[in-house]
Amino acid sequence: MKLIRKRRNGFVIMFLANFCFAMLLSFVYKEEMVFLFGTISLISLLFLVRQNRLLYDASLIWENRILVVPSIAPNLSGRQIQKDTEETVVSTFGILLGKQIYRWGLDGIHGIRLQTTLIDKERIYLTFGDAAQIMRLEMLHGMSQKKEVIITAQKLLYETGVQADIIGW
Amino acid sequence: MNRDSILNSRRLSILAFSFSFAYLLSFLFEGQVLYSLLDLLEVNSSTYILAAMILHFLGLLTCGLYVKTQVVAKNVMVAGMGICLIATIPFFFDPSFLWLLGLIISGYTSGCAVASWGFFLKAFTPKNERIKSCADVLIYSNILMIVVNVVAMNRSPLIGLILSMLCLLVGIVFTWMLPVDQEKDQDKAALNKTQGSIKNSLILLCLFVFIITINSGLMYQVINPAFDHLTGLVSWYWAVPYIVALAIMRNLPTKAKRSRILYIGMAMIMGAFISFMLLKRKTSDYILVDTLMLGACGIYDLFWWSILGEMLDYSEKPAQTFGIGLSANVFGVLCGGVLGMTIRSIGLPSAELAVIALSVVCVTLVMLPPLNRQLVLLLKSHAYLAAYDNMSQSQQTHIVSQVKTLDPLTVREQDVLQLILSGKSNREIANALFISENTVKTHARSIFSKYDVSSRAELISTLLKNQTLG
Repeated sequence: MKLIRKRRNGFVIMFLANFCFAMLLSFVYKEEMVFLFGTISLISLLFLVRQNRLLYDASLIWENRILVVPSIAPNLSGRQIQKDTEETVVSTFGILLGKQIYRWGLDGIHGIRLQTTLIDKERIYLTFGDAAQIMRLEMLHGMSQKKEVIITAQKLLYETGVQADIIGW
Repeated sequence: MNRDSILNSRRLSILAFSFSFAYLLSFLFEGQVLYSLLDLLEVNSSTYILAAMILHFLGLLTCGLYVKTQVVAKNVMVAGMGICLIATIPFFFDPSFLWLLGLIISGYTSGCAVASWGFFLKAFTPKNERIKSCADVLIYSNILMIVVNVVAMNRSPLIGLILSMLCLLVGIVFTWMLPVDQEKDQDKAALNKTQGSIKNSLILLCLFVFIITINSGLMYQVINPAFDHLTGLVSWYWAVPYIVALAIMRNLPTKAKRSRILYIGMAMIMGAFISFMLLKRKTSDYILVDTLMLGACGIYDLFWWSILGEMLDYSEKPAQTFGIGLSANVFGVLCGGVLGMTIRSIGLPSAELAVIALSVVCVTLVMLPPLNRQLVLLLKSHAYLAAYDNMSQSQQTHIVSQVKTLDPLTVREQDVLQLILSGKSNREIANALFISENTVKTHARSIFSKYDVSSRAELISTLLKNQTLG
């Protein structure tokens, strides 16, 4: 989340700087430079809007966290994901992995949704997707007590309607 | 109260308000009697007009703070009009500080009296009939105003003043005769919670009213001065198109789509400004411009007055709701007036002046249809929620469980749905469930998607329709 916010703030500065440059240069009639900085500011504005949207989703995921996993390398559909040092959050509306987001439940019944959840002694396996694509993510959950696992499963059921399968406990 | 007595009370309340409002239109609130008197004695009018308007605005806005029962409303109306009557007496003498003092006092008390009528509109006019009562009071008061204006402008302003005071006196008598339903006052506490929360709808309506009336204020300053030389015609024809438009709107079938008529009104206002720009300042030109402009004002005024009237059903404090709605109107007229005066003070030629005015009109009117859509949606949703709220707990559970969803709701979504159906706003739901407002919005979107609807109003109507079919 911090990384997403940092990146968003970067785009804000970039947009403002380029916009100011374009304005200043327009006073001295440097048309080519105005065009260049104008284009860059427009592009940075588009990135800013996108990043803002990402930050909104990230905040939503963070506010509705169900399970917070300490910093580990999760495994997405068989391949390892590059992950920053921030913790991983499993939430009502998706997963937050540093600056990466996997969303579900944000676009109604036709969008990406959480399908199944499985919790074993070490890992939690989450399957999510829509009609076009299904993804599976597994990661160490860091829970050592059965009570914690049951509470997590109950929260998942309450928030997402998905009954987690608990095996090996 | 039986049907006949309600009908009589309704007539009585319409007459009481019409006569009092005629005084307001012809004298206190930028009335021709006041203008004629000020012109006759060569007194600078702007201070007087502005003082009366500002105090009237304050009266409308604050009246709801202390008028909370029908009995108090009746007393405030009678006392307010009585004070207005006394405060008008100094206008028979030479100008003095008493004129300004009189306008300040009567401006405030008349605002309180007008807002208090909200209680009687709610009590004596059945739901869905309020458009007719509102049309009636606007038509009658404008006819009375025309009579007073003709006398004041063509005979003598003092006779006009006597007539407008006579209107007020008749208004006091009719108000005095109004019956007061004390049982309803005592039952007030029993009103359900849903009926109290109309804040959003009222804010939206005020915005709507404010935008519309900016144009009226602008029109007073831009168009009226150009036809100053047609005094005789202006004195009687000015409000005729307004009255005709009100009469047409009043008698439209209930099924008629009023939002479409708003577009006609919009075209009429634009047509009026374009005609004003292109035509000369002859009698026929005035008739065309005034017909288009005041006709549109009639359409818009009755539209928002009737919505305000229907809104009273969901309010425990009709005087407050009615007063706030009308204060938005006065505030709009004030702002439009200032805008018009600013445009005029620059000293632009009339064509350029009309173009500027037209641009302002276009910008403001483009905002009207989406505002109207939002307003209708909010009111519709409120009506459905009130119906739902009146059901028993078992009925509520039954209708929710009866409707098939495309996908089952999660427990969290069921919690959110229950609170939506109890009429709570997103913020209130967020506070109740200890989650963020954005989370509530996301859950609400998901619920709508599962019920295959696009709004709260549609959701509740789907649930209730199912109940009716069952």
